[in-house]
Amino acid sequence: MAGEPKLVWNPDNVRDVAESVGISSLNEEAVRALSQEVEYRVGQVIVEAMRFMYAGKRTVLGTQDISQALRVLDVEPLYGYESTRPLRFGEASLGPGQPLFYIEDEEVDFEKLINAPLPKVPRDMSFTAHWLAVEGVQPSIPQNPTTAEARANELVPKGPGANPALAALAGNDNVSVKPQVKLVVSKELILFFDKIRSAILDDSADPEVLILRKSAFESVRSDPGLQQLVPYFIQFVAEKVTHCLDNLFVLHQMMELTQALMENPTLFVDPYVANIVPPIITCLLGRKLGREGVDSLKEQYQLRDFAASLIGHIVTKYRKSNQELQPRITRTCLKYFLDPGRNLGEHYGAIHGIRTSGGPPAVLTLVLPNLKAYEAILVKAQNERGPNDEPLRMLIAGILHAISDITDASIVMTNGVNGNAAEGAQVEEYLGTVIGSRVVAMGNHKLNMAILESREKQ
Amino acid sequence: MSGHQPQGPGNGPPSAGMSMQHQQGIQQPPAPSQNMSQQNLNQIVIEYLVKKGYNKTEQTLRQESAHVDKDGRPIHNRVEELGNIKYAKGFKLLTDWINKNLDLYKFELRRLPWPIFVYSYLDLIINDAVEDSEMFFREFRPQFEKVHADELRIFETVKLRSLVFEDSTCKLYRNNKYRLPLNKNLYYNLLTFLETNAQLGGQVIIYILQTYCEVRQTERGPMDQYSFEAIVNQGRGLSAEDADLQEGIPGAFTGVTNKDIMDNSAVLKLGLMEMEPDLASDVRAELEEEDAINPPPYGKSSLVEEFDRKIKRENSADGPSRAEIPLPPSRARDVIMEVQKIKENRDRFRIEMTPEKSGIAPGVSICMFTFHNTLDSITCIEFSDDNNLVAVGTQESFIRVWSLHGDPLPTIVRAAQNDPPTSSRRLIGHSAPVYAVSFSPSIEGPAKKDALTPSTHPRHLLSCSSDNTVRLWSLETWTSLVVYRSFAGPVWQVKWGPFGHYFAACGHDRTVRVWAQDKITPVRMMVGHDTSCNQIAWHPNGAYIFSASDQADKTIRMWSVSTGECVRMFTGHNDMLSSLECAPNGRILASGDISGNIIFWDLESGKQIKRCRGHGKGGIHSLSFSVETSVLVSGGQDGTVRVWDVAVPTDPHKAEAQIAATGGSAGTNRVDAGTGAAVPPASVGAKKKGKETMITPDQLSAFPTKKTPVYKVKFTRMNLIMASGPFLP
Repeated sequence: MAGEPKLVWNPDNVRDVAESVGISSLNEEAVRALSQEVEYRVGQVIVEAMRFMYAGKRTVLGTQDISQALRVLDVEPLYGYESTRPLRFGEASLGPGQPLFYIEDEEVDFEKLINAPLPKVPRDMSFTAHWLAVEGVQPSIPQNPTTAEARANELVPKGPGANPALAALAGNDNVSVKPQVKLVVSKELILFFDKIRSAILDDSADPEVLILRKSAFESVRSDPGLQQLVPYFIQFVAEKVTHCLDNLFVLHQMMELTQALMENPTLFVDPYVANIVPPIITCLLGRKLGREGVDSLKEQYQLRDFAASLIGHIVTKYRKSNQELQPRITRTCLKYFLDPGRNLGEHYGAIHGIRTSGGPPAVLTLVLPNLKAYEAILVKAQNERGPNDEPLRMLIAGILHAISDITDASIVMTNGVNGNAAEGAQVEEYLGTVIGSRVVAMGNHKLNMAILESREKQ
Repeated sequence: MSGHQPQGPGNGPPSAGMSMQHQQGIQQPPAPSQNMSQQNLNQIVIEYLVKKGYNKTEQTLRQESAHVDKDGRPIHNRVEELGNIKYAKGFKLLTDWINKNLDLYKFELRRLPWPIFVYSYLDLIINDAVEDSEMFFREFRPQFEKVHADELRIFETVKLRSLVFEDSTCKLYRNNKYRLPLNKNLYYNLLTFLETNAQLGGQVIIYILQTYCEVRQTERGPMDQYSFEAIVNQGRGLSAEDADLQEGIPGAFTGVTNKDIMDNSAVLKLGLMEMEPDLASDVRAELEEEDAINPPPYGKSSLVEEFDRKIKRENSADGPSRAEIPLPPSRARDVIMEVQKIKENRDRFRIEMTPEKSGIAPGVSICMFTFHNTLDSITCIEFSDDNNLVAVGTQESFIRVWSLHGDPLPTIVRAAQNDPPTSSRRLIGHSAPVYAVSFSPSIEGPAKKDALTPSTHPRHLLSCSSDNTVRLWSLETWTSLVVYRSFAGPVWQVKWGPFGHYFAACGHDRTVRVWAQDKITPVRMMVGHDTSCNQIAWHPNGAYIFSASDQADKTIRMWSVSTGECVRMFTGHNDMLSSLECAPNGRILASGDISGNIIFWDLESGKQIKRCRGHGKGGIHSLSFSVETSVLVSGGQDGTVRVWDVAVPTDPHKAEAQIAATGGSAGTNRVDAGTGAAVPPASVGAKKKGKETMITPDQLSAFPTKKTPVYKVKFTRMNLIMASGPFLP
């Protein structure tokens, strides 16, 4: 950019003032310096004046602020501008593009002023009282703005982490957040929901708390009339499971809550099944559940077992209303089971998932043909972690469990008399040594037959 | 023409002063026709030098003439030769590099541009390069608009060399070195970059960094609020390294330098003040009597139990002793007041925010008092603690007191006792706008009282005004009792201490002064703020005072009343502070500013806990905590009363939301000291500003009023909220 720097303060103004004090010729340099100086001083005055404006809790800078600022800066204030009315500026033109502003000074006839009737006394300051909120709710009375006036969307938390449904649940629906599902939940239900939430999340070992926890589940399991809370419960479960993956207690409680919800005969959960399943799958197939440690290892497997059985329960219960459900769950589990990149815990969850969701047919058709190849994973784990590694043993036990479920478990074997060696060898060949040998050791003739039969069908 | 070449051994080094070179640039054009003789001339001169044996000069000449193009003009490949444009070039180079850098480093690197910007600008002004400085300022200003608006406003008006040496902010920057903590690795990267690009402007940046800044290397990995280091430190409860906190210049701008000016580790006594033993035994006797007459209703504890619980808490080891803050001996009135306090505390509406309930708004009730026909002349509103009186200060220099219930306000002046009863009184005495009023402590009296029961009503009112005085008024005679003259400028705020007797005021002269009621001169004067000090608040135990300063400073300081020393400093606000309040539990401070932020501070560590957004522009005029310190209520110019959850967002999900919700456009330089709830790094450019009315999820509820900015909100001792403001149609 070339040329003169832009001056905010009109240099002509400086020249005029200079002339008025008798300096007729002021060189360009001096004029510029002076205008810049004036700019700085005006800025200073405005900074001070703003302080007075804020102190007076006003939003418009007034003449009184300026005169106070001048006083603080040790400058004689400008008199005659003090006015509570806004000043009216007139405009006159000195030439093209040179407007001159001045304050319109009304001429008042003295005679008239004296004889004029006195102006009306302004109304005295007074105050009124009303309820802005009663028990957290804004009453709709004329003193309060209507929801339309209040531009409600500016009043509730926005952004991630904000939960509009929760606000509605808390009775703040006067701020007109529309939860996605328009749902009027009564005070009692909200109270109930809160109580349940706090009860089941209380992990103290106090027997009284334990009882409270159990009765909370019992209440969800049996109380009629909780239909309205179903989405909130499901949302609650989903949120907790997502955020508390390292807290086995919470996960377990959530599974129990899900179970309780499904067991309540008065609740119609079918439409929500699609939302119920993901948290359970998370608990079943999670890579890392809970913290490290022997204690938590145990709890972790308990959780997986529990989740697996829940899956089974869901599949049997909602298969009719949800055609896709069973194949989808089984497929997910199988994918995990056959992925060598997964850790043993995940495999364990997966095999259980297949067993409970697909039942014997799934094990026969999906698991058994793959077992021989699968052995590689087991052998590798065995070499790496030793045969006594707990997760490994759990996994093998899980697979055996799935296999032994193929035949009716109620048949008690009779002391190893059924079956023969040839059958055993064939089974072992089909399933691989690690699993096969263990299956044979069970010595269940019927099971062996079933396995071999499925092999022939392939 | 040949002025560029040194003519003799006495000439300066190759990179002589740049203003010289600038002039040479101007001198060159007149003689372009001699270009042919240029080489010859050089040759002749070199030969001459060789002959004379001026080896060094010869070398210099050869070196320098290599940079001359065939027309004989110096080739401007060195940025120093570009004159004043070099600053802009250098600055652009730096910002481009920062923007292209790894995200990992950006958080830290964003501290750099501001000091470079300031010093470049000031240098330009000192060089009298008016146009260049203006261009520079205009071009780069937008990215600092958000955090440094006030400083920009000041720098904008500084356009003369002389003003640089006069303006206080400029002086601060010029006379102090700007401290920049950078991690070692990054510092090395930066220097290499600048050196390799020295020709393109890096040299200027290096120059500025060396001359005006003090880069401190810190031994740590890259840092931002999500970095490994930050999270590990946070997990261990450690704060960031000291060096990290020392950023900026004291007084002008200080990153988050809590530990900057002084040590924030001074031991605090945040417990409640112990009770006088005589008073305690009197109160106990009184309460026992009361319990005998009115046995506690089922499910409630008796008053004595309640009292014991409170005493146990009050005598905690970390409270100040009575010797530190001497108070007059208690009287019958104090006994009654304490008894009433215990009663109200027991019967209060409880607002407890347990973790399970977090996010669910408590059922608070708000009683709103709206003032009419005010013509915007009200400057402050205050309720008395017995919920019986309301006082209003006005722009017209008087104070007006009403009875909230419309009861007549009696006077003990005999001559006036025959006047018709009135429910409002004017207090006239100040000669300039009144900016704050404060009622002496009081409480609603017992239901049954006889002639002997001392009154528990407030007896005094304090006011401060732009006429540099603080006045004490009697609410029994409705006259002014004392004028305290001490301030050298307008007094912005005055507040009674929690037990009466002491009161504090702060003013334009940057001081906080504390008086005891029985002395005409202040007993303490706290000096340290760099600009006018506009807000104060008392700690509930009466041993500390908080004060906030406006404009360039924007810090909150915590002063010990007994020693008069500054024991904590809190920095993090980007705008002028408009309210301060300490929590009843004595551990947390809340502060509100005029752009609508509320920040919670932890007193013990001196760190920011979280930042709440939701209020519109114009200022948060008042804050108040519930008795349990569970929720905070705020009232602002935007005409809303909002209720906030005090509990820190503990789970990371929430903390993240907090960060996201603070708008994604704030401090470039402000690095959070260690809590997760940090100010996010800036998005350059002002376009995102439209999204500023973000509301953080810890807002529990909001209640709009009808065109009534809320000047005052207050939790009563029983957890009812009183709010007030003028109706401005």
